[in-house]
Amino acid sequence: MNKRVTIKIAEIIEETKDIRTFVFQHNLGAKPGQFIMLTDFEGGEKPFSISDCTETEFFITVKRIGDFTTRLFQKNAGDFVSIRGPFGSSFFISSGNVLLVGGGYGTPPLYFLAQELLKNGAKVTVVNGAKTKEDLVFCDKFKELGVEYQNITQLGCLGRAGTSVDLAKEAITGQKFDYVYAAGPEMMMKALQPHLQDLEYEFLFERYMKCAIGICGNCTMDPLGIRLCVEGPVLPKKLVEQLTEFGKYHRDATGKRIEY
Amino acid sequence: MHKRIKTKFLGVEIESPLVLPAGVMDMSYSGLNFACKNGAGIVTSKSLTLQPRSGHKSPVVAEFAGGMLNCMGLCNPGISEGLIEIDQFKERSLIPVIVSVFATNKDDFLSLTKQVNDCHGDFLELNLSCPNVFDEFGIPLAASKEEVFKIVKAVKELSQKPVIAKLSPNVYNIVEIALAAQKAGADALCMINTVGPGMAIDAKMVKPVLFNKFGGLSGPCIKPIALKMVYQSYSAVEIPIIGMGGVTYGIDAVEMLMAGASVIGVGTAVYYRGMEVFEKINEEMIEFMDENGYETIADIPKLKKLEM
Repeated sequence: MNKRVTIKIAEIIEETKDIRTFVFQHNLGAKPGQFIMLTDFEGGEKPFSISDCTETEFFITVKRIGDFTTRLFQKNAGDFVSIRGPFGSSFFISSGNVLLVGGGYGTPPLYFLAQELLKNGAKVTVVNGAKTKEDLVFCDKFKELGVEYQNITQLGCLGRAGTSVDLAKEAITGQKFDYVYAAGPEMMMKALQPHLQDLEYEFLFERYMKCAIGICGNCTMDPLGIRLCVEGPVLPKKLVEQLTEFGKYHRDATGKRIEY
Repeated sequence: MHKRIKTKFLGVEIESPLVLPAGVMDMSYSGLNFACKNGAGIVTSKSLTLQPRSGHKSPVVAEFAGGMLNCMGLCNPGISEGLIEIDQFKERSLIPVIVSVFATNKDDFLSLTKQVNDCHGDFLELNLSCPNVFDEFGIPLAASKEEVFKIVKAVKELSQKPVIAKLSPNVYNIVEIALAAQKAGADALCMINTVGPGMAIDAKMVKPVLFNKFGGLSGPCIKPIALKMVYQSYSAVEIPIIGMGGVTYGIDAVEMLMAGASVIGVGTAVYYRGMEVFEKINEEMIEFMDENGYETIADIPKLKKLEM
């Protein structure tokens, strides 16, 4: 049951200056939206979404933000790390006309999702936003999939300035979607939500995680008490609509509420 | 539906004898509520300390055949924030709450007790036995009958709520500790905390799996120790016991009752069987009662007490 395995990093792909994809040769058996816990036993074990997964390998895409990821970035192909997983809920694989909304380094798990959707016969549109051109990931990979693809940056590095929510609003106005999926900063999803009132959707959430097996209670979401590591990280509309903490606060390692 | 497993704990009516113990799904009011919705009869807060604690660096859990190691390290938002969560829970639920607190000396326990007096929690649990903060605090208080007596007695004089002493299995003579807690005025005992501690090693990377190196054992492998210690203590004391340690299925809960527990804690089994574990165990206990001709939970017999 999600036993720990210690495996070598097979390959490291530089996506941007601060974002890298780590490839592992291991049959993880993950579904889109699920995550692993990864550690090097030097202090810290962190959750990472799966950005791609086949029967022989899987990928995680990591942004360098703190001590842990800085240490991870110093590793080379051939170095060992230890992982547990896959954990958590996964995206519903629809077959209709679907829209994927990604923000920053939250976008990569949508790449894994897009492939499964395409396999299932869905018509896929992807809108991808980030602060700058340097923070946009997987642009070429999405284009290679042959999905409808648009990206945008807040600073207007690619011409127009805006967010993926702006692109999503335009897409929704232009056509009828059967399903919308979003992964990225919580405030992006919060801004997106009012535009999805008539649509089915699923959001991929992030919370501080420790055990990842539904015991410690650090990643529960108010007022339902559902655990983001078991009932999440992918939550459907009917649950998202009930979350009072969505876009308001999250909890730190002590359990204290931190306002957004 | 579950009238047959209704019972009382320290005078309070409960819908199920199953208790969510400290440290499991109890960081927030909503986590406690989630456990209640799934069939727990009593819930316990995280062990709250005077100041917030982040706990140990991860990995904080390691699984092995038969159980789990954990070294959460008493992470909690501190007593003030923690009591807000408890009051928010009580605004929404009638289920009794045990407020668990942790300190390393009498004065801090008294400060915590004073604050707990002002919250809407039902019971006060003194965690005298966390095995995972040895580097910081040394041997748990629960290892010394003198310390247990001193702290429980002082807290009892101040507390407006019934006081539960949470004891450690990692002692040579559990009976003398249980008796010391009772003599000091404890209203109930809660046992056992995690066993050991123990460790796990990653052979490929030649590293301890837990960043804290050591962690307390829980899960099915500790049930025999829990049954023995609950039985020994039950034989010696008059006060009720919250029995826990490895309870995963209904039959484990029944055995814990037979060993002398009044109510039963279910923690690590949340991992093995999901949050629904409380409802599952409730139903399995009723099945056992059906098969063996017991109408209510009070009809389940206890073992004959040990002769002391």
